[in-house]
Amino acid sequence: MSPELIIALISGAALFGVGIYGALSQTNLVMIMMGIELILAGAMVNLVAFWRYLHPDVAAGQMFVLIIMTVMAIEMAVGFAVAIARFRAIGSVEMEEATELKG
Amino acid sequence: MTAQMFFIGFFGLAGVWFGIVVFRTYSMVRSALALLFSQTALGAMFLSMQAEFLGVLQIMMMATEMSIMAIFMVMFMMDPGGLGEMDMTHQKRLSLGVGITAFVSAVAVAVFVDWGPLATTAPDAVQQTADLGLELLGRSMLIFETAGVTILTAMIAATAVAIQPVKKASCHES
Repeated sequence: MSPELIIALISGAALFGVGIYGALSQTNLVMIMMGIELILAGAMVNLVAFWRYLHPDVAAGQMFVLIIMTVMAIEMAVGFAVAIARFRAIGSVEMEEATELKG
Repeated sequence: MTAQMFFIGFFGLAGVWFGIVVFRTYSMVRSALALLFSQTALGAMFLSMQAEFLGVLQIMMMATEMSIMAIFMVMFMMDPGGLGEMDMTHQKRLSLGVGITAFVSAVAVAVFVDWGPLATTAPDAVQQTADLGLELLGRSMLIFETAGVTILTAMIAATAVAIQPVKKASCHES
């Protein structure tokens, strides 16, 4: 068993765990998005490690990482647009104040 | 210990460390910069794993994205400098429990699964880039084009949501 693969997977798992902690514990939309960025980064690390140590001759692994980078960019763009709209509406991006749809 | 193992471990640790700093510091600008350093460390990790194109792309894209995020931090956060040491968190224990559970589960899978025979070498950078280009414009063309249209849609949607509506002057005002 390659220690490099295990080290990379453990790093990806740690990033995933930190990202989940951040996304669940933060009240600010921008900070929640930072947590999501770390979650996606953890997934990317795992994908690159799997590509390198299991199937380096298959380019689809790298293509998958490109798709995740695209998703990260899209998520940031739309998330910040929502943050701008929210800030203009009530002057805050705190998610605990977003209770308009609460039953 | 090989050089590759050392660098993967070093940059992985750096990425995780800066990721933790993101949620530990009170300064919002430092949070954004910490996330920038974390993503850059991951880009260096990709380079250590001989994914040169992805590593360079990761560093370039994330440097830009996190710089923009720092600007948004200053725009929207109540205390971007962190001097007030405001605690903007909730359900900390639950979040910590879920995070640790996710980490332990993923590590258990990584350690106990038999991944089969491992590759010792990877194609060189030029060959990798050529293969990736052929993959994107060949077998994965539909995925690639769908992603492009999705990005365009997201850009238009983000602009539409963020743009401030202009009030039209009524006949009486003019």
